[in-house]
Amino acid sequence: MSRPATVKNAETLRDVAGEGYKYGFVTEIESESAPPGLNEDIVAFISAKKEEPRWLLDWRLDAFRHWRQMAEPHWAKLRVAPIDYQAATYYSAPKRQNAPKSLDEVDPELLKTYEKLGIPLNERAALAGVAVDAVFDSVSVATTFKDKLAELGIIFCSFGEAVREHGDLVRQYLGSVVPPGDNFFAALNSAVFSDGSFAYVPPGVRCPMELSTYFRINAAKTGQFERTLIIADKGSYVSYLEGCTAPQRDENQLHAAVVELVALEGAEIKYSTVQNWYPGDAEGKGGIYNFVTKRGACRGANSKISWTQVETGSAITWKYPSCILEGDNSVGEFYSVAITNNLQQADTGTKMIHLGRNTRSTIVSKGISAGRGQNTYRGLVRIQPKAENARNYTQCDSLLIGHKCGAHTLPYIEVRNPSARVEHEATTSKISDDQMFYCRQRGLTQEDALSLIVNGFCKEVLKELPMEFAVEAQKLLAVSLEGSVG
Amino acid sequence: MSAFADLEPYVEAFKARPEAAEPAWLARRREGAIRRFSELGWPSRKQEAWRFTDLRPLQRVSFPPAAGACRASAADVSPWRYPAAGHRLVLVDGAFAPELSVIGDLPKGAWLASAAETLRRRPDLLEPALRETDTIGAQPFVALNAALFADGFVLALEPGVALDRTIEIIHLGRAAERSSQLRNLIQLGAGSRATLIETYAGEGAYWTNAVGVVAVGAGAALRHAKVQDEGAAAIHLAHNRVELGRDARYESFVLSLGARLSRHDVHARFDGEGAACGLFGATLLRGEREGTIASVVDHAAPGCVTREYFKTVASDRAHGVFLGTIGVRPQAQRTDANQLSKNLLLGRRAAIDTKPELEILADDVKCSHGATVGDLDDAALFYLESRGIPVVEARRMLIEAFAAEVIERIEDDVELRAHLGRHLARWLAGGAG
Repeated sequence: MSRPATVKNAETLRDVAGEGYKYGFVTEIESESAPPGLNEDIVAFISAKKEEPRWLLDWRLDAFRHWRQMAEPHWAKLRVAPIDYQAATYYSAPKRQNAPKSLDEVDPELLKTYEKLGIPLNERAALAGVAVDAVFDSVSVATTFKDKLAELGIIFCSFGEAVREHGDLVRQYLGSVVPPGDNFFAALNSAVFSDGSFAYVPPGVRCPMELSTYFRINAAKTGQFERTLIIADKGSYVSYLEGCTAPQRDENQLHAAVVELVALEGAEIKYSTVQNWYPGDAEGKGGIYNFVTKRGACRGANSKISWTQVETGSAITWKYPSCILEGDNSVGEFYSVAITNNLQQADTGTKMIHLGRNTRSTIVSKGISAGRGQNTYRGLVRIQPKAENARNYTQCDSLLIGHKCGAHTLPYIEVRNPSARVEHEATTSKISDDQMFYCRQRGLTQEDALSLIVNGFCKEVLKELPMEFAVEAQKLLAVSLEGSVG
Repeated sequence: MSAFADLEPYVEAFKARPEAAEPAWLARRREGAIRRFSELGWPSRKQEAWRFTDLRPLQRVSFPPAAGACRASAADVSPWRYPAAGHRLVLVDGAFAPELSVIGDLPKGAWLASAAETLRRRPDLLEPALRETDTIGAQPFVALNAALFADGFVLALEPGVALDRTIEIIHLGRAAERSSQLRNLIQLGAGSRATLIETYAGEGAYWTNAVGVVAVGAGAALRHAKVQDEGAAAIHLAHNRVELGRDARYESFVLSLGARLSRHDVHARFDGEGAACGLFGATLLRGEREGTIASVVDHAAPGCVTREYFKTVASDRAHGVFLGTIGVRPQAQRTDANQLSKNLLLGRRAAIDTKPELEILADDVKCSHGATVGDLDDAALFYLESRGIPVVEARRMLIEAFAAEVIERIEDDVELRAHLGRHLARWLAGGAG
């Protein structure tokens, strides 16, 4: 006898919740932390710890003063428990007596963690063809493939190192896309950012490998504030991967990263993210608060910036990777899959600001809501008066699994030039019984069928991911939704 | 300029109202409403619902209630008349003009009269039109209207009453720097049926602030057309609240052609299963005009259908805005909702803002929306020119075709379709962008 689908869904969803977080482990490492709280002294402490030049300290303090004047934004469709910014610790570094000169000197605990994460350091890195600048709780520990990249003049290092060794480049571009006072979370990041990645690709160079950084939040009660700055000089190309997993813990962790991309004339930056931070348990306890500012500027003519993201983790996702299309004929792209299950909430989307002539943008967003998840697409397409012949195409599809979740679509379309063509389309649907039945009668299990349907639903986005990531992302989709249809 | 400084004339106007023999409940609600208006003040652009609307024309001058300040003649009314109307009610500057109105024969169980007359003879009908939303809601103009309205129209049909002939309501605005605060009520009992066309027109720099309360009972059907062709210096704000019972049908067609600043808000809610709501409209803007359509459809009951189709044409330096929200509550399974905003941007300095929103909390739903913004199709223009049609004429034809698509959604009422089409053609003859 068949029961109503909704009842079955509720049961199977409980099973998913019981699944647990596969990457949940905490590495015991002593960290050297700043006392909790945030004031100018802490900002100065962080800056001093990192042996930063005066200009950067001033820049941080300027951001901090902005931040103090700003109010936490509440316009997103998110329910966020109050965050006590004074209770968090703003700096923690893996303890080190002497800077490691080789991998042998790196804390073995740390290396084990990387191993569990499957980060290809040393030879495995060569096999995987990936250069990893691994960020472990705010301070970069090891960078590989540097020599190989250096031959081409590509700079890929931790942010701290970039400040020390390529200060002029950092100073020229830092904050040029996301100014220190841009928004509440960007200002906070600008004041206290600990480390991150820096990449510079010189003119005409095509970066031969995918640059990748694995972020990992570790020490308890430590928010992580990465700063990423990628500059693609004239006619260059770079593909950057960002992927994350985090250990299981009970307290909400604040995460406010800033990513700035600059593409000069004819350059192309492809930025891919798989975000799988701890989403909290079935009751929504624990889980990462992810407030990220990501923005790319297509400064030069014929430049291109492409964002691809697969967001499956975090209790709260607040993230709008954007493109400022300044150069004539520049192109912006945004491909996104966002999954919310249990009590996860995601308010994510993009902004495409068309300033130059013949600028084009494409937005493809796939939102999947299950459990009691709330998934919002929020996007802005703005065509400024001088953006002749600008084009935008937007497609937002939502898939609902279960009757306690929500899917919301809030596109803003603002057009100031009559030669523009802007199209927006959005649909919301559920997995139909017919689709499910067809798969089942072909002998697929319910979970395989769900995985197949969901992967089909997300295909347009997944195909934009680099190979290695696409495989991981497909597995993640299946894991995130296992058992949510019954 | 302080946003609150200029509320005073309205509060003063409220205090200075002539002592009317109004029922105690109404006096209480008016008091509550003016208090609410004072609390809320003018909407600011920081509020999401008003961020695209420039209210400065309304704030620069104060518009005390007109209270029948001017008169109008039959010649003033005749260009706006709907030839197929069976019943006509005319209001001038927000006050009923009996000499221009022809109520005609109504079947038993049908009530059509001015709001003032209804208040005298059937206050029970008007009471539902003034609700708590006026005094606790977040709409300052609705609250102000509740405090100040003197007249409007009331159409009430008892269950099963079908009006065969179309009702026509003409609102004429004439008094400069005065406001018409109109409170309109449409109440359709179970299984009743009516077609109604409202026309707003006039000349001068006046402000129309109309609030309509529409209740469509179980199985009842209302077709509600509106032609807004206010004077070029006028301001038009309208807010319609629509409630639909089980299997009810509501269809609205809004043709917005006039006013320097216009905004049409519609807030529809499904209270019963199986109802259908169609919201259609075309807004044509030239010069420096600003026009907004704001719709909220609240699916609070399962198995209901929404069809929304709005078009905007902005030429010269005009600014067109569409704000649309379709909300589906958890209990509203089997919702079928579709929302479309299509916009023609013709002027180098014109602007379009569109924000179609879906908020969905139920899973067994079919919801979609779409929005487009662009210029006239070059290929279509070229085709017409290659057939020897001058470019100005070709553009006019294409704009007309674009806007008329909404009017064509009117099924089985040729006369209404033709009437709206004539208004559209007249606007276009005034020079398209």
